[in-house]
Amino acid sequence: MNFNFNFHTMLETLGFTATFLFLPPLIVGVIRKTKARFQNRIGAPLLQPYYDLFKLLSKSETISKHTSWIFRSTAAVNLSMLIILAYLAPWTSFRPFAMSSDLFLVIYLLALTRFFTVLSALDAGSAFGGFGASREVTLALLVEPSVILCLASLGSISQSSDLAFVFSFKNIELLNQPGLWFISGCGLFLASLVELSRMPADDPTTHLELTMVHEAMILENSAANLALVEYAHFLKILILLGISSQCLLHAVPYFWHTTELIRASASIGCIILMAVSIAVIESVAVKLRWTKLPEFIAYSVAMSIFCVFIALGKNLN
Amino acid sequence: MKLERLEMPLDELHDKLARTLTKNSNKRLGLFTSIDGGQLVTLLLDPKDGTAELLISPLELERNKYRSLTPHLAQFHWFERALFDFFGIVPDGHPRFKHLLLHEEYEADFFPLRKIALPENFENVLPRRYEFLEVKGEGVYELPVGPIHAGVIEPGHFRFSCFGETIVNLEIRLGWVHRGVEKRLTEVPWQKAHFVAEAAASDTACANAFAHAIAIESILGVTVSERAQYLRSIALELERLAMHIIDVGGIGTDIGLLGISSAMGRLRGKALGLADLISGSRFLRGFISPGGVRPVSERNLSEIKAGVISLRKDLAPVIQILSENQMATERMKDIGKLSRSLAHEFGMVGILARACGIEYDSRLSFKQGKFPELAPSIVTELGGDILARTRVRIGEIATTLDTIEKLVDGCPHGEEKMVLPEKLPANATGLGIVEAFRGELIHLIFTDEAGNISRYSIKDPSFQNWTAISIAIRENLIADFPLCNKSMALSYSGNDL
Repeated sequence: MNFNFNFHTMLETLGFTATFLFLPPLIVGVIRKTKARFQNRIGAPLLQPYYDLFKLLSKSETISKHTSWIFRSTAAVNLSMLIILAYLAPWTSFRPFAMSSDLFLVIYLLALTRFFTVLSALDAGSAFGGFGASREVTLALLVEPSVILCLASLGSISQSSDLAFVFSFKNIELLNQPGLWFISGCGLFLASLVELSRMPADDPTTHLELTMVHEAMILENSAANLALVEYAHFLKILILLGISSQCLLHAVPYFWHTTELIRASASIGCIILMAVSIAVIESVAVKLRWTKLPEFIAYSVAMSIFCVFIALGKNLN
Repeated sequence: MKLERLEMPLDELHDKLARTLTKNSNKRLGLFTSIDGGQLVTLLLDPKDGTAELLISPLELERNKYRSLTPHLAQFHWFERALFDFFGIVPDGHPRFKHLLLHEEYEADFFPLRKIALPENFENVLPRRYEFLEVKGEGVYELPVGPIHAGVIEPGHFRFSCFGETIVNLEIRLGWVHRGVEKRLTEVPWQKAHFVAEAAASDTACANAFAHAIAIESILGVTVSERAQYLRSIALELERLAMHIIDVGGIGTDIGLLGISSAMGRLRGKALGLADLISGSRFLRGFISPGGVRPVSERNLSEIKAGVISLRKDLAPVIQILSENQMATERMKDIGKLSRSLAHEFGMVGILARACGIEYDSRLSFKQGKFPELAPSIVTELGGDILARTRVRIGEIATTLDTIEKLVDGCPHGEEKMVLPEKLPANATGLGIVEAFRGELIHLIFTDEAGNISRYSIKDPSFQNWTAISIAIRENLIADFPLCNKSMALSYSGNDL
């Protein structure tokens, strides 16, 4: 690891941190606004998620007396892990300092946040938390292989499991692989829909406890605790959408030969475009029946298997 | 409508019901109750002839019980429980005998509608404590939902026994909005009773007021003017239109098609606007009363017709988007299936009976305003699932729009309201049957020697249909329950009264 502490890096780091702290609620705002427009509504202001978070922060908290320290600490643990992930994972082309980020570290940090969310859902002992957790774990089990295979096939071509190196626009081995980048980008995007509890896997706007996946797990959270949980979830949206949008940007040769600034703004733009496409999908698709979900996840898994074939073909040559 | 009143001893009642309520008979059970606790009252309907039969079976006072009808005729199971709650009459041998509507807070010997004294040796066989059916076995867990729900809906408690994601049994406990409507209706002067009657279920205000008016008019033996009959039918159809639109939109909400639900919400507002034009109230409150309706201007009627035409145009694309969405169709198909034979056995009515192929629409059988003369044809489906119920609703939106247009065109000039006598005749019986948007709604009125209402019984369509949810959701996924519930769209307050 190479830390070069000069004033310039400091500024860049501050800018980077401010970006990933500020962006997540905006992304959610974009999704909600687009969905509202699809329903012929004006919708809440773009910045409404921020207002909601501040409102939650000023409320007084109710905690079930059946909970243990796990329930109380989960939100903070998850948020800190996601902040680490925001520094590690290649969700944008722009990174202030060169830190290596191992593929498996990133994936298992994500899994660890899920582990804690599930634990805290079980901790409160309510039936809804229980089946929310069981559903979440079932979905994760199905989706995880696809995420790993998509990223691993990129890694195997570049002969490195360091995601910072794979997603650096510098790896010559990957320059002429637009197909691979594109398929893995799509595969990751579909997997993210499930990971992020968006439609068609889960309906984030529903108030029906019996159908929820993610929402059922956080029913017991309130006030500042809920604000942290929500914010961590928003941050997860940013990171996962960021990784798949980076895949798609790498598929376009133009971005390999352009300036840092254009790349960075294209990264942010692409994330926002993805947020819009989530909103479009959620407006035209219905929430699938629970037993039909594996069929949907199969699309993502199929794409990841294509990625593996491409990588195998390349490596055998 | 012809109402035949027969005295029938208890022993004969069992035989008679066993013979008449079979699969092949034309007759169906209307309602089952008592007048003051000293007798059983069974209302049998014949939709084919449009006649009704009222069987009155006196009870022996010392015994205060009778052999339960439920073991052989399943559709009596809630009627008998309600009968015990209100009158303290014990159905001997009821397989799942417990309280239906009255909760723990009531006194043990409190039977609100009973007027004759309880027998001296009466012992309440049923404690106030409510015991849910317990499903045992490894891996089976219970999930209590409600009575307060996440959405702004009425209260009802659902006790799921689940095995993983599958529902093994669902028990529904209602009664949280029991307000004593039936008792109140016997206490207010009969001229003002329609205000109470239409509040029995406020989303069915028009149908309740309509059934009340028919029942009172049948006691008085009067017929309202032709114009009033047309206007009543228009109001009834406007209520059906608005509620069907929002119920289809509700399906959109629950499967995640928010565009459909917000469009339907807007269009329902338009339909309510038409209701406002005819009655001055978006929910048709106070429009229909015994003797006629409130005056309506010709201009408003022609505006309603124009509104119906534009509503038909606005609804078409939204309904098309919903019915052409392959994912939506797949989502609704084969979920929450209700078999035709069970629907028949439990005496289901309305949308969900028609969605299993049962051709019963009381608009075609019993006189209510301009029906059955101008009644639309029945919309039925065979699937019995959520898709079938949604399709029946969509089909009825179309027939209702046509019917309103036809009614407005045919509406003659004349008096809207007639003057009624001061007093109701003594010892009379009045019956009003109306096809509310949920199904057959019955109001049955008895008067005493002084000509006051001594017993007022309301049978909301939801009363029979609540059981359908428990049946339809069995062996389904728990995540499908809200959608299944929505597709039936039953009333809590109409049931609890």
